[in-house]
Amino acid sequence: MTPAALDAAIARAVEARARLRDRPLERTVAALVAAAARWRDDGVLAARLPEEARLAPAMVAAVMPLAAGALEPDAMGVLVEREHGPGALRRGAPDGPAVVAHVLASNVPALALPAIALGCLAGAAVVVKSGRHDTASAPAFVRALAAADPDLADTVVAAYWPGGDRPREEAALRRADVVVASGGADAVAALAARSRTRLVAHGPRWSVAAVGDADPEAAAAALARDVALYEQRGCLSPHAVWVAGDARGFAARLARALDAVAAELPPIGADVAGRAARRVLLDEAEWTPGAAAWSGPGGAVVYDPEPAFRPTCALRTIRVHPLPAPAALPALLPPGAIECVGLAGVDAAPLAPALRARGVARVCALGRMQMPRLTWPCGQAAPLGALLGRSGPPLLEVEP
Amino acid sequence: MHRGPKAASVGGVSAARPAAPFEAELAAAIEAWGRGGPAPDFEAWAHRVFAHQYASVLPYRALCDRRGVTPATVSRWEDVPPVPTAAFRRVDFASGPPEAVFHTSGTTDASARGRHLVPHLALYRAAALTTFARFVLPDGAQLTGLGLVPSPALRPDSSLARMCGWVGETLATGMEWFVGADGLAVDALLARLADAEARGESLLLLGVTAAFARLFDACRARGTRFRLGPGTRVMDTGGAKGMTRPLSRPAMLRECWTLLGVAGYWVVNEYGMTELSSQRYDSALADRFAGRSLAPRRLVGPPWLRTRVLDPETLAPVPPGATGLLCHHDLANAGSAAVVLTEDLGHAVGDDGIAVVGRVAGAVPRGCGMLLDALEAT
Repeated sequence: MTPAALDAAIARAVEARARLRDRPLERTVAALVAAAARWRDDGVLAARLPEEARLAPAMVAAVMPLAAGALEPDAMGVLVEREHGPGALRRGAPDGPAVVAHVLASNVPALALPAIALGCLAGAAVVVKSGRHDTASAPAFVRALAAADPDLADTVVAAYWPGGDRPREEAALRRADVVVASGGADAVAALAARSRTRLVAHGPRWSVAAVGDADPEAAAAALARDVALYEQRGCLSPHAVWVAGDARGFAARLARALDAVAAELPPIGADVAGRAARRVLLDEAEWTPGAAAWSGPGGAVVYDPEPAFRPTCALRTIRVHPLPAPAALPALLPPGAIECVGLAGVDAAPLAPALRARGVARVCALGRMQMPRLTWPCGQAAPLGALLGRSGPPLLEVEP
Repeated sequence: MHRGPKAASVGGVSAARPAAPFEAELAAAIEAWGRGGPAPDFEAWAHRVFAHQYASVLPYRALCDRRGVTPATVSRWEDVPPVPTAAFRRVDFASGPPEAVFHTSGTTDASARGRHLVPHLALYRAAALTTFARFVLPDGAQLTGLGLVPSPALRPDSSLARMCGWVGETLATGMEWFVGADGLAVDALLARLADAEARGESLLLLGVTAAFARLFDACRARGTRFRLGPGTRVMDTGGAKGMTRPLSRPAMLRECWTLLGVAGYWVVNEYGMTELSSQRYDSALADRFAGRSLAPRRLVGPPWLRTRVLDPETLAPVPPGATGLLCHHDLANAGSAAVVLTEDLGHAVGDDGIAVVGRVAGAVPRGCGMLLDALEAT
């Protein structure tokens, strides 16, 4: 799409958005649900994603339902009523940005789905610029939406251009009232420097887990799946787990669990830089007093007696630390760096205030870390409020 | 085996013993090569050094035993087990009481700094000076040295400072130091360069790349350019570490020409590590004097230092030209650990060179390029 064509497409989307101003949002919700179901079953997309997103076909098959599942009607209903007010589902969208532009990261596929859904629920025309490792999901979802609700699909523009293509970036962002950018720190900072409109930035974050009074075998299996899904590339992927009791024993269990998950979800080969990073991490563990490491076909686990958080190299690699008491967990987290905490056998309620103060945005059960709902306040911001420019206190969602 | 926080003496060192005679023999062989003699027989020395280290460096012996490797099972030099640089952050490897202890730079966290114990400093000195002479002074020039690094007196734990000190004592007509306790003495350096230019003096400028970047910034800020005397040369090391702004290799060469009047082939990059006793140097100058000016720039080293490029997972050699982890086999490390698996990615260039691609993501920041930062932060 040339810059001029992109500009014209956005202009058409804005006009389409104006035609839907008074339409009840419950119709938008229904259309998004239908589109997500159609997108989930898109065989052409499923065949294309493994190579483009650098995931095994089995992994693509596993994560497409997860991405589509985030657009489930109850969560969208709750979100709309919570942020737009009671009865909002039966009304048109409130006044807000005419155009929301999303510049998506490419670390995990299907980021376009929540981006488009949130833009639509905010009542905006949506421009989605895909990441280079998933240029297919966004147009596939627009096609699915067109089948369910052509009028709503007309408000969405899916585009891709290589990073650094300023003319097309300018065309896409010039009309935007708000730009939402996710990705690496350098990419987000560079976009922030160029952006003349309001920017909602989502830079690198990590996730962690804690295991208390829980069945260690089940907890290890659930955590292994959370680690393996999306090849541990996203901000919801756990990089460390603190374990009460026999943490070293849990580390061994977790290594076995990762190997078991690998039988179902085979990892893809890593590049030399990734493999070198894992080698360095394992070498360090070999020479750290009290540390131990397990490395197998399913990934690597390092038992680290030091409690401080350090992100791993990903590639299904996680550190296991001892947890003296659940109450000690929040203080172990680096401020502003942790997006999600997965728990097993730990009561979230007493920890929630401290976790929120630490910058955590989401708490869920182990095994559900890669299944966020659309209500997830990414970066502690209200999902719709961030688009509408509303300020508010930092949010933490504790999932039941 | 591991360093404890209260350890007053050097941990992990076997009982004091006289320096192995073969270390002196190796030093003599290295110096003989410097005088035009034959290169030390790498294969034979590799086996001797391995047997020596297996017998006398207890942490290394433990590593070999974990790998199931002994001198009796090693038939090729490539099979000698490497020590990862991470180990130098936790354990001391030395075959005897150290005559010097060098620390890596780059972090204030002492537990994240590696250290290299050198039991036989004369061997280190022989290796460093012989290599420097071959690749930085192939014309045998004797120049006045300007050190854009801390002096050995200021940073006795810096192997780079020590090497530059030796160069000043032995291969140059002297060494003037322009890094003090407060960092780079820019004004004094600019004045000294102006004086050299006025007198047509040729210089040997030695320093961390970050210091040269600051010198260039100062030149540009003041609108100053120098045309230093013929044969002036620059040896820089440390790459982009410690820099406030990026300075690519082509930019470094361009700035040396534009601001100092030193052509690119007189600018020699050094690749060294605290954990090693030998260094690699940019091939450009030695190639020029050997009539190989068209050869590609690469990092070349002396015959007692071999570098393999290994697959990070299997530690098997990668195909020629492919990128992998750099693993150095440095015979001059006879008193500590001869085979060092780095956290640097690189690839082979030609039959005798390497190129460094960068540090592994997540590796501990380090490097002599951060010497200036360390001084200026105190």
